[in-house]
Amino acid sequence: MTFPESNLRRKKLGQALMFGLARAISYGIVAILLLILFFIVKQGIGVVNWRFLTAMPENGMTQGGIFPAIVGTLYLVAGSMLFAFPVGVMAGIYVNEYAKEGPVKRFVKMMTNNLAGVPSIIFGLFGMALFVNELNFGASILAGSLTLGLLALPIVIRTTEEALKSVDDTFRQASYALGGSKLYTVRKVVLPIALPNILTGLILAVGRVSGETAPILFTVAAYFLPKLPGSVFDQCMALPYHLYVISTSGTQIEASRPMAYGTAFVLVVIVLIVNILATLLRNYFGKKVKMN
Amino acid sequence: MTHLQSELKSLKGDILEMWQLVVNQLNKGKEALTNFDRDLAEEVVENEKRVNSFELKIDRDCENIFALFQPVATDLRLVLASLKICNNLERIGDIACSVAEFVLDADTDFNKSILESTKILEMYGVANEMVADTLEAFDQEDTRLARTMFKRDKILDQIDQNALDRVEESIKNHPNQVRNSLLVMSMIRKLERVGDQSKNIAEEIIFYFEAKVVKHKKKKQKEGDE
Amino acid sequence: MGNKLETIDVNLYYGDFHALKGISMFISENSVTALIGPSGCGKSTYLRLFNRMNDLIPNTRIEGQVLLDGEDIYQIKPSKIDHLRRNVGMVFQKPNPFPKSIFENVAYGLRVNGITDKSFIGAQVEKTLRQAVLWEEVKDKLKKSAFELSGGQQQRLCIARALAIEPSVILMDEPASSLDPISTGKIEDLIFELKNLYTIIVVTHNMQQAGRVSDYTGFFYLGNLIEFDKTKKIFTNPSKPETENYITGRFG
Repeated sequence: MTFPESNLRRKKLGQALMFGLARAISYGIVAILLLILFFIVKQGIGVVNWRFLTAMPENGMTQGGIFPAIVGTLYLVAGSMLFAFPVGVMAGIYVNEYAKEGPVKRFVKMMTNNLAGVPSIIFGLFGMALFVNELNFGASILAGSLTLGLLALPIVIRTTEEALKSVDDTFRQASYALGGSKLYTVRKVVLPIALPNILTGLILAVGRVSGETAPILFTVAAYFLPKLPGSVFDQCMALPYHLYVISTSGTQIEASRPMAYGTAFVLVVIVLIVNILATLLRNYFGKKVKMN
Repeated sequence: MTHLQSELKSLKGDILEMWQLVVNQLNKGKEALTNFDRDLAEEVVENEKRVNSFELKIDRDCENIFALFQPVATDLRLVLASLKICNNLERIGDIACSVAEFVLDADTDFNKSILESTKILEMYGVANEMVADTLEAFDQEDTRLARTMFKRDKILDQIDQNALDRVEESIKNHPNQVRNSLLVMSMIRKLERVGDQSKNIAEEIIFYFEAKVVKHKKKKQKEGDE
Repeated sequence: MGNKLETIDVNLYYGDFHALKGISMFISENSVTALIGPSGCGKSTYLRLFNRMNDLIPNTRIEGQVLLDGEDIYQIKPSKIDHLRRNVGMVFQKPNPFPKSIFENVAYGLRVNGITDKSFIGAQVEKTLRQAVLWEEVKDKLKKSAFELSGGQQQRLCIARALAIEPSVILMDEPASSLDPISTGKIEDLIFELKNLYTIIVVTHNMQQAGRVSDYTGFFYLGNLIEFDKTKKIFTNPSKPETENYITGRFG
C-alpha cells in the first residue's frame, strides 16, 4: 500500500506546529518566572547586607533590618509543620490504609479537597475565632502556627494519601504473608517506602505556609515589635506581613520601598533554601528506598 | 545440577544399562552357540523381556523430557540420539534372542566343521565387539572409535556373502545335519544385521557429539579424518 | 506422601463474580504443584485461598472447605490467621524486597513474630540465604540495601524471606514472570531443590515452566479446574481436550 505523500507532510506540519506552540508556552512561563526573580533580585540585592538580616527595623521601618520578621517566619513555619505534619500524615494513613471503601471515606476525601480550596483569609478568620478568641490564645505564635497548620493540612493529607497509594500492594501482602499485623506493616514497610513522596508534600506545605499573609493577619502578626518573641504566646513579625505592611500601610511608603524589595528578596531566598533542603532530603531518602 | 541435567543424566544411565544388557545378551548367545548350552540360550530368550522394557522406559523418558523440558542444542541431540540408539539396541536385542532361539531349535550339537567353515563364531565375536565398542564410544565420547564401525561392518558383510556356499557344502558333506546347517545360515543372516545396527548407532553417536549428520554420506566423509 | 492441602468443593465469589467454581483438589506433601491457565482463570485466586490472602479483598465470599493438615483454615479464629500465614509462606510475581538491608529483609518475618535473639536471627538468616542459593552472592554485603541486588537475586531474597520463618507450604505467584531466562532458570532449579523440605504450589503463565518444575499440574479455565493430574500425564497425554488445546497453544 502507498500513502499519499501530501497527507504525511500535513501530519508532520501539524505536529511541528503543536510542539512549537507547547514549547513556546513553556519557555514563556519560565521567562516570566525569571523576570520576576530578576526584578526582585535586582531591586533587593543592593539592600541586603549583614545588618539588614540581623538588625531591628528603625525609623518607622524605613531603615535598619528585618531580623524579627525572619525569625517570626521561621517560628511560624516550624510551628505549623509541627502541627500539620504529624496530624496530616496520620490522617492520610487513616484514609488510605484503614478506612473502608464507602460513604465515610468518600466524605472525608471530599472534605479534604474542599479544605484545600478554601481561601486563606477564611482560615485567618477561623483561626481568629477559634484560637485567638474561643481558646483564648490571643494573637500569638501558637494561634498563628495552628492556623497556618490548618491551611497546610489538606496538602499534607493529600500528598500522604497519594504517596501511600503509590506503594505497591504486594509490599503489604508480603508483610501480611509473613504474619505481620497492619500496624507493623504500615510502620515498617509502607511508611518507609512512601516517605520520599510524603516529604514532597511537606515541601509544598512549607512553600505555601511561608508565603501566606492572610491567615496570620488576625492571629499573630504584629506591625512592629521592638523585641523578639519570648514565648509561643507572644506575637511576632513575619516576612510576608512585613512586606505587605511596609508596601501598603506604612507612613512613609516611598522611603521604605528599598526595604520592601529587600524583604521580598529574603522571602524568596528562604523559600528557595527550604525547597532545596527538602529536595536534597527527599533524594537522600529516595536513594535509600529506590525502586528499580 | 539443574533439573534437566539430572533428568538427562538418568536417561544416559538407562541407555548405558540397556546397552550393557544387550552386550551381555550377545556374549551369552555366542557362548550358548559355542558350547551348545541350552540353559544359557533359554536365559537369553528370557532376558529379552528386560531389553524390551528398557526400550519402553527410555521411550517414555524421552517423551517426557521433550514435553516437559524442551531441550535444545547438545541436550536435544542427546535425547534424539538416545531415542534412536535405544531403538537400534532393541533390535540388536531381538537378534540376540533369535539366535538363541535358533540354538534351542537345533536337535544336536552344531558340528565343529560348519562353525569353522562359515566363520560364524568369528562373525559373532566381531558383532559383539562392535556393539561393545559403540557402548564405549558413547560413554567415552570417542567418535573415532564410533567411526571404526563402518569398516568393521565389512567383515560381517564378507562372512555373510560367503555363507551360502559354505552352508551348501556343509549340507552336501553332512546330509544328516541339514537342519543345523540351515539354522547356521539363518543365524548368519541375523548377525549381519548387527553390523548395520551398530553403524546406525555410530551415526547417532557422531551426531550427538559432533552435531554432524553422516547418514547417507560417502565413505570418505563418514570415516572422517582417520 | 500424604495430602498436605486439600480443597473440597470450594466456591469463591468476588461480589457477584463467581471466581472459583466447586474446586476439589489435593496437594501432596513435599511436591511441586503447578497451576496453569489463561489470565483470569482463577489460578491465582485459588493459590491465595491457602494463606487467606483473598480475605484482604472486600466482598469476598468463600464456600467449601480448605484443609491444611486436615484442619479447615476457614474455621480458625481470626486471631490465628497470622499463625496460618507463618505456616504458609508466599512469593510474589514481582520481586518485592522491603526497603531494608538484605539481612533485615530475611529477618523481617522473625522480627514480626517477636523473635529478638540476635544470634538465632543471624543463624537463621544465613541458613535460609543458603537454602535460597543466595548466600555466596550476598554474604559480604548483608548490610547493603536489598534494592542493590539484581531482579533475580531480589526474587531469591524474597524466597529466603519466606523461608526464614520455616513455613511448611510455599505459595508462589508467577515467581519468575518478570525475570530474564537465566534468573528464571535459577528460580526453577531452586524450586526443584526446595520441594524436599516444603510443599510448593506455583502459579505460572509459562507452561514450559510448569513442565520443568512441577510434579502435578492443575489446569484452570473460567474458574473451573478442568484437569488435575501428574505433570507428565498432562504434558504428554492430557485427558481433556480443553487441556490439550491450551498446552499445545491451539487455545480459543
